[in-house]
Amino acid sequence: MSLILCRQEPVKHPYYIEHLGVHIASSQELCYVIYNHPLLAMNGFVDDRLIAFIRGELDQAFLAGKLEALRQSGEQPDELLIAILQECDYYTGKEITKYRQKLAAYRKMNAAEFTKETADYYFSLRQYGTAIHYYNRILEDWRIKSLSDEFTAKIWNNIGAAYAGIFWFEKAMTAYDMSYNFQKSMDTLKRIYQLTLLNPQLRLKDRYQSLLTPERRAAWEKELREAGADTDAGKERLSQIDELFARDPIRRLNGAGELLEGWKREYRKML
Amino acid sequence: MDGLVIGVDLRDACTRISCREPDKTWVIPTVICKNKTKDEWYVDEEAYAHTLVGDGVMEDKLLTQVIKDGTATIEGVRYEGLFLLKMFLKKALELPQKEAGDAPIESLVFVIGELNVRLMDGLMYCADFLQIDRSRVHVISRTESFVYYVMSQKREVWSNQVGMFDLSEDSLRYYEMKVQRGLRQMQVAADREDLEESFHLDVLESQAGARLADRILCSCADRLLQKRLFSAILLTGKGFDNTDWAPEFMRQICSRRRVFVEADLFSRGALFKAEDSLQEKSSYAFTCLCEGRLKTTVSVRVLARDRESQLTLAAAGDNWYEAKSTTEFIVTGTPELELIVAPQDPRKKKLVKIGLSEFPKRPDRTTRISLSLGFSGEKTMIVVIKDLGFGELFPASDRVIRQEVSL
Repeated sequence: MSLILCRQEPVKHPYYIEHLGVHIASSQELCYVIYNHPLLAMNGFVDDRLIAFIRGELDQAFLAGKLEALRQSGEQPDELLIAILQECDYYTGKEITKYRQKLAAYRKMNAAEFTKETADYYFSLRQYGTAIHYYNRILEDWRIKSLSDEFTAKIWNNIGAAYAGIFWFEKAMTAYDMSYNFQKSMDTLKRIYQLTLLNPQLRLKDRYQSLLTPERRAAWEKELREAGADTDAGKERLSQIDELFARDPIRRLNGAGELLEGWKREYRKML
Repeated sequence: MDGLVIGVDLRDACTRISCREPDKTWVIPTVICKNKTKDEWYVDEEAYAHTLVGDGVMEDKLLTQVIKDGTATIEGVRYEGLFLLKMFLKKALELPQKEAGDAPIESLVFVIGELNVRLMDGLMYCADFLQIDRSRVHVISRTESFVYYVMSQKREVWSNQVGMFDLSEDSLRYYEMKVQRGLRQMQVAADREDLEESFHLDVLESQAGARLADRILCSCADRLLQKRLFSAILLTGKGFDNTDWAPEFMRQICSRRRVFVEADLFSRGALFKAEDSLQEKSSYAFTCLCEGRLKTTVSVRVLARDRESQLTLAAAGDNWYEAKSTTEFIVTGTPELELIVAPQDPRKKKLVKIGLSEFPKRPDRTTRISLSLGFSGEKTMIVVIKDLGFGELFPASDRVIRQEVSL
């Protein structure tokens, strides 16, 4: 093992990355975000605000100047990201080459694939509203170009999952229904059935009834119950609530307010 | 220089204060006297005068009191040993200050016998009390002071080994140093030996006692110096204020050797160090390996620009009391810290691994740590590792790992 010596960076005003909902306060954190979130970084990440942060807060005037020069010379945006990674010395040369290849691979993708990658990325960040926006953009393109049934089914499936993520079950049901139209997948059927369990007001279409055997229903019900209880996030939330109830009433009320505020913030970010 | 540069040799019995401009040494008993009725404190002759008159109470063994966390009750008020030492130093340092027209102290070096952390910390608290910035205060061993004294002399004095006998009220010590010229940097290795043959200076008052003492010293010199080549032999301590009582010993050590007697050697050695610490670049271009200095280099492997190199956190020759450092790193690879501990003998080089499994599991390179090193002695290093997390991406856990490492 080795160590990386941290630069003294007198950051007083951390840089806020809205899509991730985090502030960064060091050049290493900046590199980490660029490297692990290439799709975010490729989308106009290096702007005037970031360059000002690099110059003023990270005290890297040389890098800031270099980025400005690259922008003025009309250099590819990817080169700006590479310049940051190279200058901050957080990733090795090998890793930076790999990253460069990853960016090139993204750039080589056709528009639909790239938009899907972007949408999937936002989905992974639980930013379902943004993900739905990108998925819909692919479907709009579909009117012009032909997409395979399998690909279209995947898109509708993901739209369904994104709507379910923001508890808009009717929309989710419609999307899964569309997905099933393109590809008769048992997995999609399972999700349709589980939606009716989550929202009993939803009705299953007749065409699905014959496929839902009592065994399947029982298995999927069990799976949904277990999934709800077993996720790490779920456990964490339960432990947060347990902790809250262990406090005295005044602190409990304050804590509940904070917790609720946090959940609201998180939900708004999803939309 | 605008302020005073002072070297202080502190002992339980007496204190020597050497100063430059005015170039003078004050020798005063290490006692403090408190007026029984007023908040007035006295040192030196004043202390004895007030005690004899009966309006003052005298306290002695001030260093031992600090080391043992002792207290003294004067007229119903309990004083901590540290407070008494603060008052003593305040009054004692006023002596050179008054002579220099109340000039501020610019550099101060204390010399003490045993490098006891409690006493060293105590002296730093005294510096705070005296409003002297800690960066201007150093505490060194007598061995180091001996090195500074010798190395500030002409080259022929230290071209070979240098030996020194220190005969004080209740101890006899032998010091020896040798300059080793290497390819990279000159190295000075010095050591001290407390001789079992020590005797109380009272024995010198009788002729028979003096003869016996002379024989004791002769036997010590015979054993310690043998037929080795010495460029100088130094004599210091109250016992050598007069050397007439030891004719045989003097004859023996003066044979084909230069012998110097210097009563204020330790305070003057401290003074040389105090002067040097004011310089931007040290005039003593050598690595000093002696009591109070590290004999081991501690480093870590760091990765920079795809290359691995070693970063030294504490080097052999650094003053262990002052060799404190805190550095921030990002951990790569296995979550553990590897310290390379390299003593002078390259065969004894070792790797000390400290696991970081107590810290939360995170992806590679997303754990920032604060690594603090300190030393409680020449042979004991204290390592404190704090988890700093990785910003808001991976918040800090505030967990701390503390480990003692034997050097």
